[in-house]
Amino acid sequence: MSLYQMQKCLFDYLRAKKHAPRDQKPDVSVEGYDLNDEERKVVETLDVGKLSAMGTHPVIINSLCRSMGYRRADYRPLLAGSAAEPGRTRWRKS
Amino acid sequence: MAEIVMAYSAAHAPMQCADPGSAPPEQGERWFGAMKTVREQAQAADPQAAVMLTGEHFTNFFLDCLPQLAVGLAEKYATPDARWLNMEGTEIKGEPGLAYHITEQLMANRWWPALAYEMEPDHGFLTVYHQLDPSWQLPLVPMVMNCTTPPLMTLRDAYDFGIALGDAIRTYQGLDRVVLVAGGGVSHFVGEPRVGDIDEEFDHWFLEELGKPDLGELLDLPNDELMEAGNGTGEVRAWVAIAAAMRGRKPTVLSYEPIYEWINGMAVVSYAA
Repeated sequence: MSLYQMQKCLFDYLRAKKHAPRDQKPDVSVEGYDLNDEERKVVETLDVGKLSAMGTHPVIINSLCRSMGYRRADYRPLLAGSAAEPGRTRWRKS
Repeated sequence: MAEIVMAYSAAHAPMQCADPGSAPPEQGERWFGAMKTVREQAQAADPQAAVMLTGEHFTNFFLDCLPQLAVGLAEKYATPDARWLNMEGTEIKGEPGLAYHITEQLMANRWWPALAYEMEPDHGFLTVYHQLDPSWQLPLVPMVMNCTTPPLMTLRDAYDFGIALGDAIRTYQGLDRVVLVAGGGVSHFVGEPRVGDIDEEFDHWFLEELGKPDLGELLDLPNDELMEAGNGTGEVRAWVAIAAAMRGRKPTVLSYEPIYEWINGMAVVSYAA
């Protein structure tokens, strides 16, 4: 598994999309990235839940969701599978 | 020698510009009222340049090469992100002389920022800069900090860095009056399962500690505990740096609004004299 290659592929896609003319929507391309079959499939389908569960950086997940037009209520449930138990903090009373 | 004539720290949630009317009206009114207050405080001090610190959002750097700190040394900065933030500006003037001096002085104090002769101010800067100077005439020295990708600076590191930054600005001979600003924080969660949450308890605790002599318990807060308040909350490193640069001056909390529609604890703290 190459988490970095997966993230690099997504980053390059998001950057291409940002700089594309408004009437053009570039497709995500996995060519040239060292990905295994599972990673290739998850990236090509832009499966946000799986990308998150596989460790994709939250800043990339955030950008991806925004670029796909998701609102918070749309994508929060998709990420629920990678939720961690809250840890102890000195400020939390509840 | 330059004087830091005004300093403040403010949340940079993009929705405040992209969709300002989405906040509950009373909260929005209090928030924008506080931002107007800091603008008036800054304008009264007649600054010649702004030095602004914010977190990196993979706009200028990525995992292929991610500095902990970077200084913008450009003559001007293009602002393509202004479009989705409902701003008309297309570029901001730089202040390369001050930026170079800051870099040199930080290095003299054993801080080693990356040099960025090209930088794109994203919402982290623009939301705050636009409200500081709606005319976009104030020259800017943009500085980014890594606030989201471990390993990260501790808050104590950020404090030490802020001391060096304040000292660097104050030894610059090319200008007389500089405003120092942090953009980011307070609590927010982005791209993760708790997206949309606001840790109000953290925000109240943080703002209280920030006002204490020596910043209370903040400088001993471990990074993993800070992360519990949200993966975007680490941008308070910039707030702690500003507090260090302005040490000896008590901050005033002008506003704290947990605006869930903007998925952000929205606070602004002023160090106006």
